[in-house]
Amino acid sequence: MITLIKLEILRVLRNRRYLVFTLILPVVLYSVMVGAYGKAGSLDGVSVKEYFMVAMATLGTVSASMTTNANRIALERKSGWARQLRLTALPGYGYVVAKIASTAASTLPAILVVFALAYAQGVRLSGSEWLLLGLTLWAGGFIFAALGVALGYSAAPDSIQPVIMIVYTVMLILGGTYGQIGGSFGSFAKWTPMALYNQLGRVAQTGSSVGAGPLAAVLGYAVVFIGLAAFLYQRDRREA
Amino acid sequence: MSTSVEQRTGAGRKGPGSGEVAAFRNVSKHFGAVKAVNDISLTLHPGETVAFLGRNGAGKSTSIDMLLGLRDPSAGSITLFGGTPRQAILDGRVGVMLQSGGLMPDVKVRELIDLACRVHPRGYQVDDVLETAGITEIADRMVDKLSGGQEQRVRFAIATAGDSDLIVLDEPTTGMDVKARQAFWAVMRAQADAGRTVLFATHYLEEADSIADRVLVMHNGRLIADGTAAEIKARAGLRKISFDVHPEDGADLSLLRSLPALSALDISGHTVRISSDDADATVAAIYRAGFYPHGLEVTGVGLEQAFIAITGEQDAADESAAHTATFGKGNAR
Repeated sequence: MITLIKLEILRVLRNRRYLVFTLILPVVLYSVMVGAYGKAGSLDGVSVKEYFMVAMATLGTVSASMTTNANRIALERKSGWARQLRLTALPGYGYVVAKIASTAASTLPAILVVFALAYAQGVRLSGSEWLLLGLTLWAGGFIFAALGVALGYSAAPDSIQPVIMIVYTVMLILGGTYGQIGGSFGSFAKWTPMALYNQLGRVAQTGSSVGAGPLAAVLGYAVVFIGLAAFLYQRDRREA
Repeated sequence: MSTSVEQRTGAGRKGPGSGEVAAFRNVSKHFGAVKAVNDISLTLHPGETVAFLGRNGAGKSTSIDMLLGLRDPSAGSITLFGGTPRQAILDGRVGVMLQSGGLMPDVKVRELIDLACRVHPRGYQVDDVLETAGITEIADRMVDKLSGGQEQRVRFAIATAGDSDLIVLDEPTTGMDVKARQAFWAVMRAQADAGRTVLFATHYLEEADSIADRVLVMHNGRLIADGTAAEIKARAGLRKISFDVHPEDGADLSLLRSLPALSALDISGHTVRISSDDADATVAAIYRAGFYPHGLEVTGVGLEQAFIAITGEQDAADESAAHTATFGKGNAR
């Protein structure tokens, strides 16, 4: 099991797609967004640079935990590797556990890269704030890793790619990754998973307290995604 | 003085004489209206090397999936080493090489085999496994960069990464050239000689003929033959007749189709090849029909013709239609 986890982590870090979507994309987008919104001064109560620091860190995390994870699961179901693993003495949940563990390991660099960039751009937080923010973002990533597992098992392997892209894109837009959504639609959008994730990040950043509503919603999503992942995974095992 | 205890299940771990490795009892599997596997019963014994034959869609892969617990039977029961397939796998008693079992990408061959060795409860040393499978020289290659034959050998290494009692191979030599196949079977024989039970599905009937000491034939979801290769050949009762016809003899080749006891007929150029249930009658009829066969040969058939014959018989029995002579079209190769 440990060997499988180690190997999964190694694979992710070797993968070029990971490098592009998880490390390079957020860095590039950060620069673009700060440039585009630079004159606005502040967004949602924090400076533009701080707003996008969190938004890009969550983008990297979600890319790694959701799209990379879901894509790999879909590919490995298709190729038959997932089946082959089931014919070893590994416990049945071993595969999913290894996937989530490797995700957790791969999101950390994504968060740190964006932090480093923001720091270079002049964002300053206290040591405990950096730590709290980092941990919050990292922990939130597990929820999306569960969603990634669910998506990876959501449909026949061949048709999963578009499902992932749609869910991912819609979530990012509603979540405020490309800037805040205002108006009455915005009040709906802020309850979407990505928006809550961003919001948690900003709360951790500013040290203000979290409302009971958003916290309950985050826990709710965690329960739903984990339940969905477990259900779809079991369904796949029965069918394959 | 010796009160021999009859061991009816393989519950007593390993050890020779534990009567059965695997057992199918009246197993069926339906997919909707399709009966992929239809009421199969069979028992595999320790130390046997068993070939599993059948055309595409005959039900081989479904049966193997059920044997390994990847699918549940619709009816009947399957035991592996006296317990459930899953338990046998968790105990490391089964090594498996799937037909298109994908490999983990983005890792080196050695890393992958190391994983297989470590997850096996009685795993071997990586270097030994690499050596046995003949992949030591590609150990540092990335798995995604291998040729088809190399991939097969990596899959084989995964199947033999530990001290398993049963090795299941689904079409193991597909994609290998002749030399690689010979090397593969040499290794496989060593596994069988070490007392392991080996079950392999194949399209190459000569492999089954030369390697297996027991042959199972599946056709349309049913097990239609179970015996040694020699028994199956004898059961088919076929002889092979071949000769050349010269055009100047002026015989009408279409007459060949009405020869008695025909099981299969193949005319290529001037060469005629016939499988016959009754070679004497067929040869006599050839002369009566006015042919002058040049270089006439009558020989026993290989397992391949026997396979075609018995699956053909089954088809004929299945179709109550008037077509009595079913011409074996040959299995997909």
